[in-house]
Amino acid sequence: MLATAAQGEARARNFRLWITAGPGLFWIIVFLLIPSIVLLGIGFFTSNDYGSPVMPLTVAPFSQVAGYSLLGWDDGNIVIFLRSLEQAGIATAVSALLSYPIVFFIMTRPASVRPLLMLLVILPSWTNQVVRTYAWLELLGPNAPVTWVAHALGIVPPDLGIAPGVFAVTTGLAYNYLPYMIVPLYASAERLDWTLVEAGRDLYASGVRLFWHTVFPQTVPGLLSGVIFVAIPAFGDYVVPQLLGGDKALMIGSLIANQFTETPDWPYGAALTIIMLVFTGAGLIGFRVLTRRLGGTGEATI
Amino acid sequence: MTNVVPKGVRNILAGISWPVYILLYTPLALVAFYSLAPAPNTQGHSFYAYGVLFHDGTVFAALQRSLVLAFGSATVSTALGTLLGYGLCRFRAANARGLTANLPSLIIYTPIIMPSLVFGISELIFFNFIHQQTGFLNAGLLTMVIAHITFQVPYVALTVFARLAGLDPNLFEASHDLYANGIKSFFYLTVPVVRPAIIGGFLLGITLSIDDFTISFFTAGPGSVTLPIYIYSAVARKGISPEINALGTLMITTVMVLAVAHFFISRSRDRRASLIPT
Amino acid sequence: MRRFGLPTKLILGAALLAGVAGPRVAQADTPTLNLFIWSNYITEGIIDGFELQCGCKVVETDYESNAELAAKLKAGGDSQYDLVVPSSYYVPELADEGLLQPIDHSQVPNLTNLFPKFQNPDYDPGDKYSVPYQWGTTGIVYDPAKIKGTPDGWGLLYDPAQNPNYPFVIPKGEGRDQIASACAYLGYGFNCSQQSQWVVAAKLIEQTKKRANFAGFVDETPARDQMKSGLIAVSTAYNGDIASCYADGSCKNLKFYLPKEGTEIWVDTMAIPAHAPNPQLALQFINFILNAHTGADLSNFNQYASPNQASQQYLTGILNTELITPTDDDNKRLQFLQPLRGAQYKLFNQIWTSVLQ
Repeated sequence: MLATAAQGEARARNFRLWITAGPGLFWIIVFLLIPSIVLLGIGFFTSNDYGSPVMPLTVAPFSQVAGYSLLGWDDGNIVIFLRSLEQAGIATAVSALLSYPIVFFIMTRPASVRPLLMLLVILPSWTNQVVRTYAWLELLGPNAPVTWVAHALGIVPPDLGIAPGVFAVTTGLAYNYLPYMIVPLYASAERLDWTLVEAGRDLYASGVRLFWHTVFPQTVPGLLSGVIFVAIPAFGDYVVPQLLGGDKALMIGSLIANQFTETPDWPYGAALTIIMLVFTGAGLIGFRVLTRRLGGTGEATI
Repeated sequence: MTNVVPKGVRNILAGISWPVYILLYTPLALVAFYSLAPAPNTQGHSFYAYGVLFHDGTVFAALQRSLVLAFGSATVSTALGTLLGYGLCRFRAANARGLTANLPSLIIYTPIIMPSLVFGISELIFFNFIHQQTGFLNAGLLTMVIAHITFQVPYVALTVFARLAGLDPNLFEASHDLYANGIKSFFYLTVPVVRPAIIGGFLLGITLSIDDFTISFFTAGPGSVTLPIYIYSAVARKGISPEINALGTLMITTVMVLAVAHFFISRSRDRRASLIPT
Repeated sequence: MRRFGLPTKLILGAALLAGVAGPRVAQADTPTLNLFIWSNYITEGIIDGFELQCGCKVVETDYESNAELAAKLKAGGDSQYDLVVPSSYYVPELADEGLLQPIDHSQVPNLTNLFPKFQNPDYDPGDKYSVPYQWGTTGIVYDPAKIKGTPDGWGLLYDPAQNPNYPFVIPKGEGRDQIASACAYLGYGFNCSQQSQWVVAAKLIEQTKKRANFAGFVDETPARDQMKSGLIAVSTAYNGDIASCYADGSCKNLKFYLPKEGTEIWVDTMAIPAHAPNPQLALQFINFILNAHTGADLSNFNQYASPNQASQQYLTGILNTELITPTDDDNKRLQFLQPLRGAQYKLFNQIWTSVLQ
């Protein structure tokens, strides 16, 4: 009797799961998964001279991913991959470091002002990306006041600008990705249980220790969401390095884009995308396993 | 809560945050400054660029198309994404492991991790195929809306899920005990609680849609120009002209005015509400 | 916000979508020419004129690079658009891939208006798949306030001694111009075609990349704007872009020249995609553009040279100067980029990718 009741409940539960989550999942499957599988299937075709896929089926594009080309082997792809990884890391670290002070600053303001302050952080990302990146190009160019300071300090040779350069790219990344880290972090911080902090203070903890043991763990769900929202797009991003870095260094995003446009080789582009997706997917799964191990805070991400 | 954070720490936080806020708006100030550039072959700052902008029919057509696209797709994706996040949070068995647990997650993450160019080209090939076979889905605003919905749904779902995840499951039991069926529970318990996440997801969807270039470019049909496509073309041809800067300035100013107005209106509404004796 | 709860939002969304899908049913009647062209390359006046003549509607969509055009055509766009405007060196590749259809010359009587050299060009013998639209040259633009002397070759880009300090850029794109210019500088001629020469040219560009004042890969038109704001001092440029900024006064102080070792003459052409919905209209359009007056209006607008011999008498202003109409001396230095076919194309792409890395 009890067994069938439980079964009935499980079935009802499954039914509700499909009714609610079904439409969304179905939409993504039909409108993205299926089309991409078709396109990525091209990764197993041979590429004709103009880069279009033709028979026979082969895994040659994947050997290209590994670095083999008509010119022999070179380590270019490994370098590009590491570079993109580094970019994702920098974007995540910088936006996290900036987000914490800002979020807690907003928390110390009266509750009525907080939404406005949050909106003010997000608002710049509503300008067009090209327009605001060009503004940075001017702000960090050879003729800008900031650059004069850099000239005076001898960091930058005269006649050149801070942009294009590594610092300019870092600034651009931080500027672009800050909102994506701040929103989930703020959502977490808003639900913070301050009584824990008071308890910690009662136990004579203070300063950094207090923050680290009472405040920080509660913000971890938001931080993890933020890491996903920043690291993944930043890994494939190439607009900022292109405009503010002078496009001197290929990122994996631009390598893939080039295979479909400037230097067409669609099977190679598809193979690169597959490898990138596999890597990112594995990273995501690993991330979820890790957060679950950190003691149940993993429920905060799907 | 303000008394929990000591004054010294508060000052440090302010000392870091205010400069960051200023830095956030410096490029925008520059954009506004350049929008006042003199007309060609003249001297002195002027609103010349704004005049050109207002007479340019294509800009407003592009703006209108972008807004329809953004609001239309965000509405549908918020609905789909909220249900998705809710369903996965509420009804997925807590002890699910392996594929059942991870598959929906991977599906949801796919639009986020797929590079935009591959996304756009896949959609183009797919829609073209459907159009050849059935005559439906002519490339145009409809195909763009479908593509936009697809990349927004995961963001909404993730945001709603995160908000729901901390909710006490007993609340659902309680509402069940009060004779509310599934649908009533959803609208009277869940929606009010996740309202901030729904709104946040909706705004996130609009943000993503308004700034998207690559996917829109490939799924657009003849003549469907959105604002980013327009700006990208104009920049590639004429560079960052004063008109483009004027456009950017107008967009930011409009939203800021709306936000500040909303803030003051809701504050005065709350103040008036608090004057009503309870 | 409770008023705008979920049900209301769903209804609003559905209404918006209906509004989006609805009008499609209404407008099937007027024949439409779907034009896919570089932005800012044609005037409203010309489009209106054509609409009047053909009793049809023209829908213009823009793109910014040949690569984008090719990608869109390959992915299915060749059945969406009636007329596209690829650059000359892309035509053989698109034709080989089956993305273009031959042009029926009997329907384009105005073809005879073209200069003889454009009626049978190297890149498309007999104008089989394409008809010239506008043409121009690529050269070097520099800021004489920063670069002293009179530079006259590709050395201004590739020779550190000629520009040790000031930021400069070279274009990105598909690499054709860049390898060709490096070859020219190295003495192999602008259209070098042997793999070994490409490799040496590629190495020169890689070394150039490593110079401290290399400010990145920026294409010709955006680079011109960086020159105008003083962000860089040397770059490649299209003659028409420079002509327009001379005309509106925004780059009066910059100087432009055609490098002595050889440089590119390019032609943007009109072509009809293989599965165009309305090829008849496209042919009419091509004929319309080749009309003497239309050709002149076009050039007077975008400040590029016209391949139309019959239009020459109507051209005004800067178009008659050496900047737009090269002298005989200049003409000796100008070459079309040789189209790359087959296996060479693939090899070239891989060499260029390794340079970009």
